[in-house]
Amino acid sequence: MSASKAPSAAPPPPAATPGGVRVALSRLRRHAVARLGAIAIVSLFVVAIFAEALAAELPIVCRHRGTWFLFANVTQPAELSGLDCDGLAAADPDGVRLGPLVCHGPLREHPDAKLAPPLSLRGYPLGTDVRGRDVFARVVHGTRTSLTFALVTALAFVGIGTFFGAVVGFRGGPVDAFLARIVDTLTAFPTLVLAIGIQALVPKPTAATLFVAIGLTRWTEVYRVVRAEVQHAATRDYVLAARALGASPTRVLFRHIGPNTRSVAIVAATYGIASVVLAEASLTFLRVGRDTTSPSWGELLAQVREHPAAWWLLAFPGLMLLVTVVAHHVVGEALRDVLDPHARHAGEATTGALPPSTAIMERD
Amino acid sequence: MLRYALRRIFWAFPTLFGVSLVVFLLTTLMPEPPAPPVPVHNAAEQALEQEERLEARFLDLPRFVNPNPRDVRVRANECVDQIAQDAPLARLCALRLQRLGGAALPHVLPRLEMLSPAERGRVAGALAPLGERVGIHDAAGLRDAAGATRLWARFWEDHALDFTEPAVRRNAQRLAQRESAENEAEIAIVDTFALPVLMATIETTPKADGRARLLRVAARITGRPGLAPGATAEDVDKAAGEWRAWWFVHQAKYTTYDGGTRIAAAVTDTRYARWTYGSVSGRLGLSTRDGKPVFEKLLSRAPVTLTITFLAMLVSLAAAVPLGVVTAWRRGRAVDVAAAVVLVVVYSLPSFWVAQIMSRLFDHTSWLGLAAPVLSLSIGSLALLSRQQRSALLDVLSQDYVRTAHAKGVSRVRVLFVHSLRNAIVPTLALAGMQFPSLFGGAFVVEEVFGIQGMGWETLRAIEAQDIAWLVAVVLFAGAITTLMLIVADLGRALLDPTLREGAVST
Repeated sequence: MSASKAPSAAPPPPAATPGGVRVALSRLRRHAVARLGAIAIVSLFVVAIFAEALAAELPIVCRHRGTWFLFANVTQPAELSGLDCDGLAAADPDGVRLGPLVCHGPLREHPDAKLAPPLSLRGYPLGTDVRGRDVFARVVHGTRTSLTFALVTALAFVGIGTFFGAVVGFRGGPVDAFLARIVDTLTAFPTLVLAIGIQALVPKPTAATLFVAIGLTRWTEVYRVVRAEVQHAATRDYVLAARALGASPTRVLFRHIGPNTRSVAIVAATYGIASVVLAEASLTFLRVGRDTTSPSWGELLAQVREHPAAWWLLAFPGLMLLVTVVAHHVVGEALRDVLDPHARHAGEATTGALPPSTAIMERD
Repeated sequence: MLRYALRRIFWAFPTLFGVSLVVFLLTTLMPEPPAPPVPVHNAAEQALEQEERLEARFLDLPRFVNPNPRDVRVRANECVDQIAQDAPLARLCALRLQRLGGAALPHVLPRLEMLSPAERGRVAGALAPLGERVGIHDAAGLRDAAGATRLWARFWEDHALDFTEPAVRRNAQRLAQRESAENEAEIAIVDTFALPVLMATIETTPKADGRARLLRVAARITGRPGLAPGATAEDVDKAAGEWRAWWFVHQAKYTTYDGGTRIAAAVTDTRYARWTYGSVSGRLGLSTRDGKPVFEKLLSRAPVTLTITFLAMLVSLAAAVPLGVVTAWRRGRAVDVAAAVVLVVVYSLPSFWVAQIMSRLFDHTSWLGLAAPVLSLSIGSLALLSRQQRSALLDVLSQDYVRTAHAKGVSRVRVLFVHSLRNAIVPTLALAGMQFPSLFGGAFVVEEVFGIQGMGWETLRAIEAQDIAWLVAVVLFAGAITTLMLIVADLGRALLDPTLREGAVST
């Protein structure tokens, strides 16, 4: 595998040149399971982006008392404030309305319809929660909350881990030893326990503190993998050649070694999203996530603790969690297969659609 | 092996230091009590109380380095300055000076003569209650500038020799051995100056009655509640513990730093050092939820959580190895594919969700109900470990020595179990050890779902009650126990795999 042993053999091309990415994508397309996973991920993001079109208080397009409102569900015009679909129909029976799939927002409480099972009430396909809020709306808007948070968090900690891993792996020296101690320290905390501690101790837990609490330990795993990758790459012949030609260290790092970390980072981010979604759900389930008004899957699941009979509060958010995490794992695995030449050589000996044993991520 | 072990353990110290640093920084996240208001004269008592509340949490100390440690000399001089100039803080300073007590006298009395008569009168007024405490029975004279100077000068002439450490030590040691009104009176004269020696003597005195006598004197000179007359040996021990905690907070007020101790105090008289020392010696404070010592609660809750964690680790390992062997052996067949699909799904399920389902499926009294917490915690790592076992076994099975064994005519079963599994199981064991942090965190959630009263359950109650002491202790405990577990995992791996011992400690 190492080119230094057999210099005459053509070294494997660096995996992720732009051409490499194109090749990888075309390989990915042939991966049946991964294709399904990718479709699931795209649909989830579509749901997250167009949450208002699926569940909102106001119609997408409507004519009310002679005025046309476009995207009223998003813009929330002042003229229609306090009204919902039923209210609009009652106030102006002649109006035209094109409603979202379900005419309930995630925040509106309906006191006379608490804990209604699915399909038992008209207009609430998945039932209502403890405070009479529509479960469908909360699941749909929870998708946006969870995915946005997971995406931002995963990108941030993968970015930090990759940056430090690349620079430190390349430079070595005392900074390396120092960072190794920091990484050891942060690894010594179970993510969940540290996050519980941080969320409970800060005066006002918000999404931002949750972001720090989860990211604080997670970047270290990316850091380890990237550092090892960079250290390995730095011994390769083409890097030695670049050095011999007089390339500056910065150029060697960014031009010749950097691209090697791209595939690791992409894979880590894919798994990272899954792990952040799980961690966020666990923490919200324990009620140490954020406020309980903003819709999220963990918040719905937390309600089951007090109302064990409400199976729909367990089933639907659980299903969404499952789909999200499985999809990201499947795609992450496929990406690792096609992006990482080492894994390709190992062929069958990968771990299936689970994170690699080098512990790219820690579960929940 | 020993060298490897020592090196691995050595590297744990910086990690533990880092852990304490992180948790200490966490404690600074919590809201600090509001800054004391500028004390007006009649509010001096409240200001002093507020000050003591801050001191109890070491909030009066700087975080990491204390360039000017405030010992009794610094405090006393400050107070005298304030009182002499009748500064706004004079009333508060008079109270402080009374609390400093006899320990301040060696620093205050020599200054008395250098002050102007007006200033001297003010300082004398502040010193008067102290004078009565140390046995000058002339209330009027003590408040008058000229009289006070004379009285204090005479006091100092009579007792300067008592204000030395050997004198106090002799008295304290005699008192530890037998009842002696004379020694007790001599200690009472030097007042709080005796405290450092007294506290040290209490620690070294084995007999309960001796300690009781010393505690009685300490209570007399500080004005803190003392022992009830008919105290048993346990009562004395308990009281000694409380006194130790009190001394831990207040010792800087009664000790004079010079030379080496002054330099050391720059590091030890800091919030971080105090907090770390307190935590290491089990002084984690009282839980604000139910008033019990956090350390004792930790001792009673931790075994529950650790049992669940280790049982889950064992169960997942015991199930994962056979599953990994079967799927590797029947690679590509229906069993393998089905297992792969099921395991991905299982791995992706959050443990709290599984726990919810299990708690509703199984009756709590049945044996499945009892096993449910461990099962729901273990399935996640079961998936991971069995895939690891499968891939490791496949790796080994493709190696030359296995092919040789086959060629020699060794039976398939023997090749699988004797030649291959022995090597392929090492990384699985290592990975099982590395699963500890996530299993430990997962146990918190599972406990909550099943209502098991372990650390997780306690922690969530603590969050509701804003029980900061417990939360900090739990995070610290989690960090420390994980560090230890990772060491054990590394050492276990090195024991099984000799090649690892040669390399450097993995960082």
